[in-house]
Amino acid sequence: MKRFPGRGPEAQRKREGALFIAPWVIGFLSFIAFPLFYSLYMSLHQVKITVDGVEYAFIGIKHYREILIADGSLLYEELLPFLRETAIMIPIILAFSLAVALLLNMRFPGRTLFRVIFFLPVIFSSGQIVQEFITQGEGSLSIVKTLRLDEYLREYVPAGWAGPIQNVMDSFVLILWYSGVQILLFLAGRQTLPASVYEAARIDGAGPWNTLWTITLPGLVPYMFLNLMYTVVDLFTFPGNPVVSRVNTVNYGSSSALAWIYFSIVLSIVLLTLLLYARIEKWLSGKR
Amino acid sequence: MELVKAGIRRLYAVRVAKARLAMPGAAIRRLADAAIGRGMLWKPVVYVVLTCVAFIYVKPILYMVTTMVKDASNILDPAVIWVPRSIHLGHLEKAAGMLDYGKSFLISASLAGSVSVLQTFSCAVAGYAFARLDFPFKKFWIAMLLFSFIMPPQVTILPSIMLFKKLGWMDTFLPMVVPALFGHGLKGAMFVIIYRSFYSTLPKELDEAARIDGAGLVRLFFRVMFPVARSASVVVLLFSFVWNWNDFYFPSLYMFTAESVPLSISLARMAGEMAQAQGAGELTVFAEAIKMAASFLIIMPLIGVYLVAQRWFIEGVERTGLVE
Repeated sequence: MKRFPGRGPEAQRKREGALFIAPWVIGFLSFIAFPLFYSLYMSLHQVKITVDGVEYAFIGIKHYREILIADGSLLYEELLPFLRETAIMIPIILAFSLAVALLLNMRFPGRTLFRVIFFLPVIFSSGQIVQEFITQGEGSLSIVKTLRLDEYLREYVPAGWAGPIQNVMDSFVLILWYSGVQILLFLAGRQTLPASVYEAARIDGAGPWNTLWTITLPGLVPYMFLNLMYTVVDLFTFPGNPVVSRVNTVNYGSSSALAWIYFSIVLSIVLLTLLLYARIEKWLSGKR
Repeated sequence: MELVKAGIRRLYAVRVAKARLAMPGAAIRRLADAAIGRGMLWKPVVYVVLTCVAFIYVKPILYMVTTMVKDASNILDPAVIWVPRSIHLGHLEKAAGMLDYGKSFLISASLAGSVSVLQTFSCAVAGYAFARLDFPFKKFWIAMLLFSFIMPPQVTILPSIMLFKKLGWMDTFLPMVVPALFGHGLKGAMFVIIYRSFYSTLPKELDEAARIDGAGLVRLFFRVMFPVARSASVVVLLFSFVWNWNDFYFPSLYMFTAESVPLSISLARMAGEMAQAQGAGELTVFAEAIKMAASFLIIMPLIGVYLVAQRWFIEGVERTGLVE
């Protein structure tokens, strides 16, 4: 196959495509790829900011060893419980936002009002204001205390998980606040399923319950995946995240190393979900 | 448009046939269908569930609004929790003064406005290319798109600061605006993915019909593809505006020493000042009310923007089907 400087419609199309993607690729190289490698470089060096510039002294993996082994408190005592919390939060967020989006999609009087209200979390959750509400304890559900769920929890759940579950319940409202974008994405995704399909299904005698399982949910699988990725990424830059504030300009070298360790954790989690998604996709198409 | 319709029909015929045949638990199905169909069971449930969740979302706003209009007597009165006896607007004025509201508002609006418009356009171009066009190493670049989506900004933040310092862009809008011009910036990868999934749901016949008519790619994009994506554009524009308006992380690192800062930064500065004042033993009773007033001032424009945009948002979202 002829590559870039060729003739004919094939090469012509490729050239046009390259023209369209060029700005994005340039942006990627200069604002993502370059800083990425630079931070890898810095994480292997002792960085000193002096009056006339920046000095680098190669120290190998010392920063990594410090964070992973010598001083592991940040990683094992703060980040690990946080990861457990996210493992509980993600399914809750996805199920909740899917349910709400499907409800909001139905026709009933007052729908517009509800749709306005359900945009509020998008505004809250990205701002500084959410911090304010967390400190005021707006995030907890009083029902948890009334039913004394925490005591049962401590009795029946292994200690490593009881704490995170407790935290999730304490900030349950907060979780719902973090579902705003997901709700809207599901809502938009639901609209891409054409009404004519539902109409045809109805004429053929399929009820709403059937169409939900055979048309709506399979049609939403790509959006579930998009939402899953979004939720994972969003939670990893969550205000309560112990790592985010540690990456600062105090120490360039070890901050970069921390960012890289953190990133590799995120990356492995996401790759796992990708694998899972590929499996599900295969299974779905096999059923078809 | 006939071509498009036919394509969609063919695409979904299989699913319809399946919907007709699948019979999981006939009794449950009949019961559920009857209840849903008549709206007896369903409607009240929908209302109850949505109202409960809506209350959770509205409560902080109620708290904010009621707290910020309380004067000293209302704050100290233990009988007043939600409804103050009188309305006092002094905190709002005070907060506006501390935030330097007029100036900060303009900066926030122009920053979020320019970034969101640029992102909407540049991400549409990239998303269309990723969905429909062919270019060298396409698979690799798609992987890189996913990569930049999942990469926390903390990984690249320090070198970016050094890069922008070298370029002399610190304390200006440029570190936020220029990446947006290239389809990156705050959550840029996500917007590209949104466009990409939107364009890949469009039937291929739409491209091909225009190609047969002899339209060049640039014209095709501006005349057909960008206008067709209006629903996706509204979503992206709105999200981008809100996130850039609220964003604290990037401005705090790129323009913290600047004279004129966006609202998110002036809120943080204000909170710092108030914490200091509290340490010196001032203002303690009003601190809460003033903070709430400031939060209200920052959130209000966003709610206004959404109220204006939501008509297109919902209409646009509903037209995404495009076939009807």
